[in-house]
Amino acid sequence: MASPLQFQPKLLNEESICSMVTEGRVHSGVFTDPGIFELEISQIFHRTWIYIGHKSEVPTHGDFKTRKIGRQPVLMIRGKDDVVRVLMNRCRHRGTQVCEGEQGNAKHIRCWFHGWVYNANGELLEVPMLEAYGDGFDKSVMGLNQAPRVEEYRGFVFSSLNPDVPSLTDHLGNARAMMDLMLDASPKGDIQVNAGVHKTVYQGNWKLVGMDGYHVKYVHASVIAAWNRNPDSGLAATHRGDPFEDESASRTRDLGNGHVMLDLTEHRLSHYAQFTEMLKKMTGGQQYLDEMKTKHGEERAKLLVSLAGDPHVGIYPNLQLINNQIRIINPISADVCEVIMFPVLLDGVSDEINALRIRQHESFYGPAGSGSPDDAEIFERVQKGMYAQVNPWLEISRGLHREECDENGVITGKISDEVTQRGQMKRWLALMLDSGAE
Amino acid sequence: MKSTPPESHPWLNTIQEFLFFEADLADNHQFKDWQALWTKDLLYWVPCHDEGVDPTHQVSIIYDDRSRLEERLFRLQTKQAHSQNPRSRLSRSVTNIRIESGDRETGFKVTSRIHVVESRLERVTHWAGRQTHRLVWEESVFHMSEKKIVLVNNDSLLGNLTFII
Repeated sequence: MASPLQFQPKLLNEESICSMVTEGRVHSGVFTDPGIFELEISQIFHRTWIYIGHKSEVPTHGDFKTRKIGRQPVLMIRGKDDVVRVLMNRCRHRGTQVCEGEQGNAKHIRCWFHGWVYNANGELLEVPMLEAYGDGFDKSVMGLNQAPRVEEYRGFVFSSLNPDVPSLTDHLGNARAMMDLMLDASPKGDIQVNAGVHKTVYQGNWKLVGMDGYHVKYVHASVIAAWNRNPDSGLAATHRGDPFEDESASRTRDLGNGHVMLDLTEHRLSHYAQFTEMLKKMTGGQQYLDEMKTKHGEERAKLLVSLAGDPHVGIYPNLQLINNQIRIINPISADVCEVIMFPVLLDGVSDEINALRIRQHESFYGPAGSGSPDDAEIFERVQKGMYAQVNPWLEISRGLHREECDENGVITGKISDEVTQRGQMKRWLALMLDSGAE
Repeated sequence: MKSTPPESHPWLNTIQEFLFFEADLADNHQFKDWQALWTKDLLYWVPCHDEGVDPTHQVSIIYDDRSRLEERLFRLQTKQAHSQNPRSRLSRSVTNIRIESGDRETGFKVTSRIHVVESRLERVTHWAGRQTHRLVWEESVFHMSEKKIVLVNNDSLLGNLTFII
């Protein structure tokens, strides 16, 4: 085994990074080394497309959310021209963060260091005692800086600090159709991200929030035992039977560009009858089923209703669409990661259906859910364990011999296969090594 | 406006003892005994962000009816609830107890403060906030029909809140 006993940060170069990722193994220094982490911020988070937020989060002029691109604070803000922009949250004068808190409404943004005022488009309106700067001072070029690139897909706003990044369409590639599965679960084809947020943090590396079809029976053994008592409670309704058996029709997929998913489609479809029975008992349930059929035709409607807006997809590097939620992953250090979870409501369905979506989300996710804290607990154990580096290698070769690749380049494996881990590491390595446009 | 504090309520001692008893059961992870304190219909609610949110339109940290609470307690009693293995070691103070309204027939609304110190895996975490109990007199003892905890940091990043708060 060609194994450096311990990764040496001073040897951080293309060759050593390359040696840390092989086809079925990853060196644990990738998860523990602060030098690697710094490089990830510049090579990945400050260079590729980062998910910022959904337009429904800022419905009116002046509404803003504070977010981050890697380490850099930004605002997603709706201007007076109704355009949603991503602006650097930093006064052009002496660098003060101009918007505090998570969210708010500011048609005029005043920096309280020296009173400079911007509008919600980011234009500089006022500088107290402007004349002291002399004639050369041009207010029109002193607005809040825009992030170099901003593009959206059906309301999902992405931004990049890299002016030369390829288009968002190219970046999303095969993952766009998976985002459609969430959006099209609404009979109006749109979602509302306005039901609050669960903000969680764990002491572990950001890459541990992977997309893993193998962990469920062990990490979530306690809640599976609870579901088996009452198959209609919480998320159990969407996990009837066992979607995580290799004999099941569930699959892991590597969609390319680091985007990966657990494809639970076949399993969910097999429970379509139970889903519709549950829906029909709810206010607006029958109407929802009818509208979906009219809009999408019988076959597509059946798929969309069965999935209930859950593509179970990770969009590399910081976005996941899982169950009833949009999830943002914020890397803080090699050893700390924030996971921000936004429940997703469907446009055009009854309050009762959306309230159930919120309750389903709470039951499993968030700081007191039956699932997220156990995930975080195990990630923390992984982080601690990975410091034992006599043999530093992590094994991600599961199912390597039985992968299948289709004409679009999508790689597929059984549900417990580590196709997803390999897909993410492949992208990681490409971004870490490539010093070119992306 | 009255400038003197209100007179002590005649039920204060009994209610205070109930709250202290509940706190002990929660601190000691006595799930079955704690569950027995509840009425059949119940609401165990830890709002997220703010206390004024409408739970049908906004996510909460916990919004349990009886079936969700039973699932929560069942899960914690399995041996695979990893986030409570080892269990949090807890010490909570219940203070500033006030009986806001009610009587023995209709039930009481009681507000108080909690400060929970949690120790787990070499980390100490403080959880603090205001709580409201609705207490109903049933079969010669008090039962909780509602417990709402408004944590001071319910709008912040949170770690592991899987024990009974």
